[in-house]
Amino acid sequence: MHYMHRENMAALTVVEMEELENIFALLLLGSFVGFPAPPTFLAVELLPFMEKELQMLNKRAEDCTDMLAEMCGTLGID
Amino acid sequence: MKILFFTGKGGVGKSTMSAAAAWQLSQKGRVLIISLDPAHNLGDVFNLTLNDSKKRFSRTLDLKEINLQKLAKEYLQREINVLTDTYKYLQTLNLDNYFSVLKYSPGIEEYALLTSIEETIHNETGYDYIVFDTPPTGLTLRFLALPRVTITWIDRLIQIRQKILEKRYTIQKIRGGTEEEKKAREITLEYDERDDDVLNRLQKLRANYESLTTILEGRDCAIALVFNPDILSLRESERLIEGLKDLHLPLRLLINNKVTTDTMSMANDVERRLQAFSNSTPIMRVTLSPHVRNGTDGAHLYNIDEDIASELLKQLQ
Repeated sequence: MHYMHRENMAALTVVEMEELENIFALLLLGSFVGFPAPPTFLAVELLPFMEKELQMLNKRAEDCTDMLAEMCGTLGID
Repeated sequence: MKILFFTGKGGVGKSTMSAAAAWQLSQKGRVLIISLDPAHNLGDVFNLTLNDSKKRFSRTLDLKEINLQKLAKEYLQREINVLTDTYKYLQTLNLDNYFSVLKYSPGIEEYALLTSIEETIHNETGYDYIVFDTPPTGLTLRFLALPRVTITWIDRLIQIRQKILEKRYTIQKIRGGTEEEKKAREITLEYDERDDDVLNRLQKLRANYESLTTILEGRDCAIALVFNPDILSLRESERLIEGLKDLHLPLRLLINNKVTTDTMSMANDVERRLQAFSNSTPIMRVTLSPHVRNGTDGAHLYNIDEDIASELLKQLQ
């Protein structure tokens, strides 16, 4: 199968994974945006390994003003 | 090894009672007594100046006061080191010292306290008894609740994390491709549970807390509640008993401290109510020592007539 095809097939799962990563980061570091947070030290304890999740959190925050575009992107509508 | 906690409202005589118990136990075995209270007065009871290294009082009794602030600082320093290590590139921009703001994170003190208890239990294996003089009710309940609360959180986080790894595995399988193609992708995702740092750390933490909870709820741990014959002490003790029940922690002895002939009827009343409230946990009575009342210089405040140690040991059988 062609490389692009495979990427296409994986796309939806990638979106799902990114959402989960976002949720994970949000649960752990939610105190930054006013969510009830787990014991602070858990966040501190895991912070060193959370680079990717933090980037995801950031990206979500940036995109949240344009949800329509985000959805179209997810569903592959050009 | 037996572990004993002395809890109660501020000023009821936790330090004196724990010191007395430690002194009596040291006639039977090796004892380490540790004060976790930020407002230390264990040293006053033994007429010594204590710090966070152990001090020998007698052949079988060692004393120590925990410095909570120093402990919190050390813990955070360790974490900050890992952080600055991971984000090394920030050093070139001189931004790494911004992580030091973590010092002021709330909840760190309880965690540091719990860590120190855990370390003590694991490292000080040469003792027959470890006695903890705890801070007042609020903080004590908070740090005793910490392992359970944390395990709940960790379990949820582990679940999500495993799901993420599952997805990553699927993605990797679909993408497949040759080694060159894999290399061309900018980020490689860890999908194996053993490779994921976050999951590993979570699981390690979980195992830690699980073992601590097992020790705290176990047969070798006892919590003694100290109270005075007055209404405020009764109310707070009720709350503490309730809290300990919720946490499944073994309350094994109630100590009615500072009883005098004037307060006898109140003492009876408070004892009756607490006994009913706590499923008839045994109660013992300690009379107000004339040394404490008159402030005799150089008096051995830890040397009281009542035998707390035997009573506690009876409950630990």
